[in-house]
Amino acid sequence: MFCVQQSTNNPPPFVAHLPTAFAISVTCLCVLLQGYPGGGNPPAGNPYGGGRGFYGSPSSAPYGGGAGGPYGGYGAPVHGGQYGPGPGGASGGYGGQPYRGPHAPAGNIPPGVNPEAYQWFQTVDTDQSGFINLKELKQALINSNWSSFNDETSLMMINMFDKTRSGRIDLFGFSALWDFMQQWRGLFQHYDRDRSGSISGAELSQALAHMGYNLSLQFSEALVQRYGARGRGIQLDRFIQVCTQLQSMTQVFREKDTTRTGNVRLSYEDFLSGAVTRLM
Amino acid sequence: MAYHSPYRAAPHVNAPPDQSFLWNIFQRVDKDRSGVISDSELQQALSNGTWTPFNPVTVRSIIAMFDRENKGGVNFNEFAGVWKYITDWQNIFRNYDRDNSGFIDRNELKLALTGFGYRLSDQFYGTLIEKFDRQRKGQVAFDDFIQCCIVLQRLTDVFRRYDTDQDGWIQVSYEQYLSMVFNVV
Repeated sequence: MFCVQQSTNNPPPFVAHLPTAFAISVTCLCVLLQGYPGGGNPPAGNPYGGGRGFYGSPSSAPYGGGAGGPYGGYGAPVHGGQYGPGPGGASGGYGGQPYRGPHAPAGNIPPGVNPEAYQWFQTVDTDQSGFINLKELKQALINSNWSSFNDETSLMMINMFDKTRSGRIDLFGFSALWDFMQQWRGLFQHYDRDRSGSISGAELSQALAHMGYNLSLQFSEALVQRYGARGRGIQLDRFIQVCTQLQSMTQVFREKDTTRTGNVRLSYEDFLSGAVTRLM
Repeated sequence: MAYHSPYRAAPHVNAPPDQSFLWNIFQRVDKDRSGVISDSELQQALSNGTWTPFNPVTVRSIIAMFDRENKGGVNFNEFAGVWKYITDWQNIFRNYDRDNSGFIDRNELKLALTGFGYRLSDQFYGTLIEKFDRQRKGQVAFDDFIQCCIVLQRLTDVFRRYDTDQDGWIQVSYEQYLSMVFNVV
């Protein structure tokens, strides 16, 4: 016989008690939120005219970032490439170890794996599963103020180096991530001109300019305002997140900007698709 | 702004749970007794119904929505909002999880979002599933469903701000475009 299964069989969102009778009228939501135009009707008027921007007109090179590969590559930052200057120009700094914990004894290191990364892998893989999950990675990655990496950046890095899409990274992925981290840490220290341990709006602006992006100082300041802790600049995790997303979203823009004018015309769904696919 | 979203739309159909009930839960979730529920405390208290950890990004989004002083967590007063928010979403989810599988498949997602007022192509629903299906099941669990709706809502809000003539098209410069997407990360 057929019966309507009660949804109370699902585990509640809170492990604690759950209020049972919270009937919500979904229909009233439909009334509140009108459908967004997406019927594909072309707008009237000159579609490409009058695109006056808040941030001034684009110069001859509307954006930078190089002709880098797609988001998620293992590629280390190379000079003038999508990530800006390489480690050669950004070495030194205050030499903090990116990973917490003691060195593990070395064993048989598979070819292609950075020996240092191999040692750290043993330490970071606390449950000895042979994989690093989000929790393990978060515990291992620290900023210069000793805070753990935020979830978004940690997840982003797992997604970048998780070839199998299992939500965790193996030794080879970890080795690539290790190199990636070293490069970024070098860049961070390089652009932290006043050695404050964080990147200010002006420092970010300089960093982005060196990486080839043509963006206003206000834009960098807005990013730092948004991602910095109480106006004190951004830490390494946010720096990596911002730069990686910037590269990725520049790629999206570039694909749309076929005429290279620095202006694009986007439909609602174009905009959603670009952002949903590439944003973390 | 005369604009409503599914998550801000708060239908006051039922009376809110009483304070002692919420206080009881708050104390159980606030494991370190700091008076503030952090991301990890909330994450541990939440279940997505599939025995996998609750999406940390969803947790962050929710905390950020109610954390007024940017303290990295929610106090008891703010927690009442969090509680209501999550239980509201849970009811919506159950409503659309027609087969009661604990997951929303592509068809159910389409029904849900269409119900919220979105008009999106079939292809785009494929994109959404691909993006928000963390468990690689071809469908979306409770926590990922919330995150999907939050992201969609934020993107729609920002698009709407630029689409001043409301024709569904925008023209933006490079930096405007970046400002738009970074507003919603």
